[in-house]
Amino acid sequence: MNLFEPFSIPYMQRALAEVLVLGALAGAVGVLVVLRRLAFVGDALTHTVFPGVVIAHLLGRSLMAGALAFGVLTAVLLTGLGSHRRVGDDAALAILLTSFFSLGVVLISRTRGFTADLTVFLFGRVLAIDRTDLVQTLVVAAVVALVLAVLHKELVLRAFDPEAAAAMGYRTRRLDLVLNLLIALVVVAAVEAVGTVLVIALIVVPAAAARLLADRVAAMTALACLLGAAGGWLGLAISYEVSVDHDLRLAAGATIVVVLVGLFLVAAAVAPLRRRLARDRVPAVAP
Amino acid sequence: MSLLEVFGDSFARRALLEAVMVGGLCGAVGVHVLLRRLPFFTMALGHATFPGVVLAALLGISLFAGAAAFGAVVVVVVALLGARDRVDDTSAVGVTLSGAFALGVLLLSAQAGFSRDLTAYLVGSIITVQVGDLVTTALVGAAVLAALAALHKELVLGAFDRGGLAALGYPVLALDVVLLLLIEATVVTSIPAVGTILAVALIVAPAATARLWTERLRATMALAAVLGATSGVVGLAISLQWRVAAGATIVLVAAALFAVSLVVAPRHGLLARRPAALVPVAATTTAAGQGPTRAG
Repeated sequence: MNLFEPFSIPYMQRALAEVLVLGALAGAVGVLVVLRRLAFVGDALTHTVFPGVVIAHLLGRSLMAGALAFGVLTAVLLTGLGSHRRVGDDAALAILLTSFFSLGVVLISRTRGFTADLTVFLFGRVLAIDRTDLVQTLVVAAVVALVLAVLHKELVLRAFDPEAAAAMGYRTRRLDLVLNLLIALVVVAAVEAVGTVLVIALIVVPAAAARLLADRVAAMTALACLLGAAGGWLGLAISYEVSVDHDLRLAAGATIVVVLVGLFLVAAAVAPLRRRLARDRVPAVAP
Repeated sequence: MSLLEVFGDSFARRALLEAVMVGGLCGAVGVHVLLRRLPFFTMALGHATFPGVVLAALLGISLFAGAAAFGAVVVVVVALLGARDRVDDTSAVGVTLSGAFALGVLLLSAQAGFSRDLTAYLVGSIITVQVGDLVTTALVGAAVLAALAALHKELVLGAFDRGGLAALGYPVLALDVVLLLLIEATVVTSIPAVGTILAVALIVAPAATARLWTERLRATMALAAVLGATSGVVGLAISLQWRVAAGATIVLVAAALFAVSLVVAPRHGLLARRPAALVPVAATTTAAGQGPTRAG
């Protein structure tokens, strides 16, 4: 199999650039998602931007703007979603997620070509990315990387020890909002290109694999970025190779996810070995 | 024109029956989902049955069988992954969810010329339920409810006090697996009505609403079942009247019931008077997307 040859075609180059940037971006944010156990929040955000996309589509506006509006709205709602005694936050999250998604489905079900639109939203069209998409993704990636670099210490402290963070005078609510907004930004940057299912996979899977292999947050972040980007590359190459040479069409986005899950399984198999070796030297970090 | 007149046609009557049965079943099971904090798992289960459905569609066997078989695999995988100390439950569910769903898409895309529309599977197509679906729903629903009734004491004890359950000599793990399989059966059964993505809504929303109105568990289950069935009927009527997607409308009705209850429920609602100590509670309403409302 050739890892480079497929990428001589322009649309494959754009797809590769997109998944490399997204993979690294989602990996970096994903570490915080995994450390904070926010996978469900990430999943919720991928669904709640849907009505924004639909409304923007119906109004003929930029899909990204619609997704952004609903992403920010959800991030704010999720942060405010405190602990009502009788309603668990996961129940509230599930209701929020499904009702927003339903709103999108109801709105779009009034239009023609409903099922085609829905399929694109869910599974993306990574091979049809144009220059504008790529620029948008790059801008979002730069913003997210900047925020992560500036607030890294605070966000990690919040993940491991919320009481200490609060005691030191940090506004934990505000940090939570920042993280939710970052997740929303990643989702918004990615959703039009690669679909909701791939976004959540890019966020959670490389980070979960990195957590199996690394003890330090910095190493975990680097590894997650690397795994996310590598999964994207490998997935695209495999999908192209199999589709072109073996006449078996494999959807690019789904292939990337399956490769990522494969990397995760390898990490899960290797982790016990590595830890047996490392046990004598480094005490494991216990969050 | 009255809302009920839209149920005049036979397809509408079949859909009505399905909505009532699925709504009631989901509501009752949902109480257990909430007690054990399993909404995300339930969500994942819906997604994860997708490859099973694709395979079943390709092989021409029952979609139910395919979904149920894959769901059972997922129950085991999540249990195994979650048992590792470095992978927390949430991440395990997240990985399983995306992996299984992608597998379904992959299988689907590999099928050149495969044109069967699986969107119905994703967001439901209650209008097209057949008599066979109704019979399946009735049988599975009756079996699940019977199991829940028979194991009620054990399941509730397991939710509140696993140590106590183990000390009494019950097989805790086996009971967990039984409950997960009951949830799986419920999800698979609701797929024709509301689809895989939205099944979790019909399971969680009525139960969460019922919990706002009553403290007693049996009453919560009964109320959740009634609320689920009501959401089904009202949502279906609205969707037939205004020609919008049925599954999604049912979910929006269930969410609206929750949102209203969150505000007006007598003891736990945001308008209810509460001791000062409990004031800093923020909660959010959902369907209309209003901002967070602060209690007190």
